[in-house]
Amino acid sequence: MSTSAPVVETARQRPSVAGWGLWRFVTQNFYVRRLFKALVTVWVVSTIIFFLIRLLPGNPVEQYISRLIETQGMDYENARMQAAALFAIDLDAPLWVQYGEYLGNLLSGNLGVSITSPGTPVTAMIGRFLPWTLFSVGVGLILSFTLGILLGLMMAYRREGVLDHVLTILASIVSSVPNYLLGILLVVWLGVQWKVLPIAQMRGTMSPGVVPAFTFAFVYDALYHAFLPIFTYVLTTMGNWMLSMKGSTVGTLGEDFVTVARARGLNDWRITTAYVGRNAALPLFTQLTIAIGFVVGGSFLIETIFQYQGIGYVLGSAIAQRDYPVMQGVFLVITMSVILANLLADFLYGWLDPRIKVS
Amino acid sequence: MVQSTVGRPAGDRHPDKPPLSLQNVHVSYATRRGKVQAVRNVSVDLHAGESLALIGESGSGKSTLGLAIVRLLPETARIEPGVITYRRKDREVDVLKLSRSEMRAFRWSDCAMVFQAALNAFNPVLKVWAQALDTAQAHGWHDKPAIRRRLVELLEFVQLDPKRVIDAYPHELSGGMRQRVLLALALLLNPQVLILDEPTTALDIITQRTIIKLLRQLKQEDHFTMIFISHDLAIAAELADRVATMYAGRIVELGTSDDIFYRPRHPYTLGLIRAVPTVTGGFEQLFSIPGSPPDLVKLPSGCKFHPRCTFATERCQQEEPELELVGAEHSAACWNWREVQAELQRNPLHRGALNVLDGIGSEVEGS
Repeated sequence: MSTSAPVVETARQRPSVAGWGLWRFVTQNFYVRRLFKALVTVWVVSTIIFFLIRLLPGNPVEQYISRLIETQGMDYENARMQAAALFAIDLDAPLWVQYGEYLGNLLSGNLGVSITSPGTPVTAMIGRFLPWTLFSVGVGLILSFTLGILLGLMMAYRREGVLDHVLTILASIVSSVPNYLLGILLVVWLGVQWKVLPIAQMRGTMSPGVVPAFTFAFVYDALYHAFLPIFTYVLTTMGNWMLSMKGSTVGTLGEDFVTVARARGLNDWRITTAYVGRNAALPLFTQLTIAIGFVVGGSFLIETIFQYQGIGYVLGSAIAQRDYPVMQGVFLVITMSVILANLLADFLYGWLDPRIKVS
Repeated sequence: MVQSTVGRPAGDRHPDKPPLSLQNVHVSYATRRGKVQAVRNVSVDLHAGESLALIGESGSGKSTLGLAIVRLLPETARIEPGVITYRRKDREVDVLKLSRSEMRAFRWSDCAMVFQAALNAFNPVLKVWAQALDTAQAHGWHDKPAIRRRLVELLEFVQLDPKRVIDAYPHELSGGMRQRVLLALALLLNPQVLILDEPTTALDIITQRTIIKLLRQLKQEDHFTMIFISHDLAIAAELADRVATMYAGRIVELGTSDDIFYRPRHPYTLGLIRAVPTVTGGFEQLFSIPGSPPDLVKLPSGCKFHPRCTFATERCQQEEPELELVGAEHSAACWNWREVQAELQRNPLHRGALNVLDGIGSEVEGS
């Protein structure tokens, strides 16, 4: 029998002792570079927003003037004087001066003051309304992702069964209905025609007299008011998660490592979670971070339909009144949430899928 | 559970009681076109410490038979009729009648399978160590330091550096390394039976040599009962004590390595041997079996090989031959096996084929 010395092979892609320092430097550099890119993106997008907003027809003063003329029957001169006195802003200053001021303020964390609600800083408005959006859409996203993944996994395991067929059809129908349409239908059917839900009472983010605190009463009230937005969000997005997860799971079930795991005698639970589920959910993770990014921006129509005072609702009224600083502020929040979500995806993906680190 | 050597102590060998015996095993798949008869009427005993090679073309039912033993066939497959008896010490079970949890326990701890596609045999998001731990824990072994010691020992046996491999992700290992890790993992729980499905296919020639050396070493330890599934005759000749030729789901010839490779009695085996090319031999003498393997849904009448057989007679078209003894431990399922014998006397196996086998023989002795 051959007695030659064992050939010891070393694993590829493992840094040697000498290369370790360099490897660490590169990864650190990667994070720093990624962060820097994110900051540049924020700056570019906020610049674009600044100019795009000012390209919109009409400005806050003119919007206010035309409202005064319509509602109060004033003539143009009087209305203009009243508006100028009220707003005390100089929209005639050159654009680049306004832009410089805006950037300067932005760097010091000042987003300006609302034009239509004089004296209210934009940051305060965001601070007041953003949490409601994060709460309602966040809960909706978590519910829809979790339910979608679990149902998708189940459908893949019982594919061609009754459950699979029924859920596939339902998921396709529900995910093709736009959320605002479903929202309107819910208001009309449940609230107006069948009177199942007290739509008028459910408006807003909380009932009068309820104090925000970590009490059961508050959480219950918050969920009560957020129920319809969450329900709409879950129903319209869950189908997509289900179908993606089903497809991904069917593919993963055919992988050799699943057969080998069975041959190794692993129990079904371990195979379903750590072998099938985890690998099947990997591609959905990218979709999830995109969805997280659109938590803020995607709430616009639903919040308007259900009169839920979140950040989307604020944006709606700010656009109607051309409230530049508020619009800029909200758009900035939307931009940052998308960028942050992408950053999160980049940083977390390497942890979830070890293969990514190599490339 | 941990032992200092790779194999089990020789004490639990029962030479008269084969660890694995297949009796009249059939496997069929339900498809839209009809019933695919992938394996038909296979009966064979595997003796303790013996290695059996299954050879044949793609689609001859070799891999299906291997998967049937650990019951990992797709859900559309049915293994019936048939009995697969497994014996270890005083335990005797019918593998096909085991419950779900009994089957789970049987896999890997009694019968491990090294797969053809070791490249994708590992969960890409778990480290080698985590997958070994999963395997051990699934069989009720929770002593982590002991599992680690055993894994290190086995990784050293397959000539890998445990320090590097144990905490590596599968994608950080080359194909040959992954195949060796899988082999080490297969030995983790001291299975009595080892099924190796094309253990060296898809590997480069140097890595193939390493794996074959390891397998030969395992064989010499004499504790494992092994089944090699291969279409590479050279590997079968090198590693097997006995060889079974499969055609259209049946074993058509069964005998010792020497019997099969030097005294084949089935025209199909003869064809396979004559089709082996050599590095030195020219192509002009290369023989190829005409036609292609039969449609497993609509099998031909009589002997399933008769449409491709140069020895075929009228009888072959009507009656299917059973395996009959043609030598001491040698049987073949052919009406005309004497004609094959006569043909071999007229036309000895030409040098091309013999060179391969001689080469292997001398290497075995020389190494």
